[in-house]
Amino acid sequence: MKKLYFFGISFLLFVVIGQNAYAAAREWELDQAHSNIYFSVGHIYSKIQGHFNEFSAKVSFDPANLKESHFFVKIKVDSIDTGISKRDKHLLSADFFESGKHPLITFESKTITDAGKGVYEVAGRLNIKGKEYDLTLPLTFAGVKDHPAVPGKQVAGFNGTITVDRIVLNVGDEKFYKMGLVGKDVEVLVTFEALAVK
Amino acid sequence: MNNSAKRSSLFTANGYRSLIMLGIALLLGGALAVPFYYETQTLWYKVGPDKILLRAGQLAGMLTLVLLMLQIIVAQRVSFIENLFGSAHLMRWHRINGVLVACTALIHVVLVLAPEGMNNLPIGKKYLPEMIGELLFLMILITVVSSHCRSLLRLDYATWRMVHRPLGYFALVLVFIHVFFVSESFTHILPRSLLIVIFAGLALFTGVIQRTRLGRSHWK
Repeated sequence: MKKLYFFGISFLLFVVIGQNAYAAAREWELDQAHSNIYFSVGHIYSKIQGHFNEFSAKVSFDPANLKESHFFVKIKVDSIDTGISKRDKHLLSADFFESGKHPLITFESKTITDAGKGVYEVAGRLNIKGKEYDLTLPLTFAGVKDHPAVPGKQVAGFNGTITVDRIVLNVGDEKFYKMGLVGKDVEVLVTFEALAVK
Repeated sequence: MNNSAKRSSLFTANGYRSLIMLGIALLLGGALAVPFYYETQTLWYKVGPDKILLRAGQLAGMLTLVLLMLQIIVAQRVSFIENLFGSAHLMRWHRINGVLVACTALIHVVLVLAPEGMNNLPIGKKYLPEMIGELLFLMILITVVSSHCRSLLRLDYATWRMVHRPLGYFALVLVFIHVFFVSESFTHILPRSLLIVIFAGLALFTGVIQRTRLGRSHWK
């Protein structure tokens, strides 16, 4: 009988400890209305800004459990919006994104490291135009608090900026860059809020 | 009637014909000059074959616009124009011009869309002016096919006519909206004003002719 108790308690301990050791990071649901992916690129002297209207993200994040934290972002390329429909259509053409062949951009994190002062280095694979690239996005974790408007829920905030070379990413060749029309460095601002049950 | 009076009346008819032809030539010339003189920003960002295709597409579009306007004028069967050119000639021209409109519209659609990629079609509320153009193209095709294959489609004359006329006028409204909102060339004050004046004039002309014709048939 003693043996049975021993095995029973051992089994429970194993389950509890095991669960803690491999506990998934807290899952967060993206607040679409308050999340955006903006970009800005040079045009001769000025800056042209745009954003993607349709994207989704799976967020599992816990500052205390970065190993199990994970980000997966999926962007619908044809939702690009720079305020001028003809320019958007040109950006979707083979001159830039070629959205007919490559309708999605994805980013999946592989490792997340604490860089201090609330900044987390989210290293992962960016898939754009059918090719994968290593990308590290420095993401500032703004914090977690009770949502002021949604009882029973908490909100987390993330902001990150990164500059990418569109020519390296094959988003257009050097044609417009060499003409002095469209810059090659694209500043990307990722800003989002995510909700979770308290 | 003496010889000089005969010569004078012939000269007048020829003169009017020449004036009308000159007017059409000027309208065509002016329309075809627009894509060059008021170059669109879309063209700035096209190089090589894409630029040639887009420019040719814009020219085909302008040609379609002028031919469609002429088609509506001819369809009014104004006795003054019929006396000058002959009603049989005008009817033949109306039929040929219908096919020409469909052909130039098709060339316009293909050449304008090709540089942006055929798997990158302008569909969605963001592209409403372009989609109006797509609807217009479909209407032109239906109008032309139903006219040339009426017997094959087993359409009786009354039904065909009942559909053909409104389609023609609706096409005129759609082409105005399409050109007015889709083309950057027509954001410039001169082409924009001319487009408004020409379409207002055409609408007024068509309205007056139809009203007069309705009045006459009612009186009869």
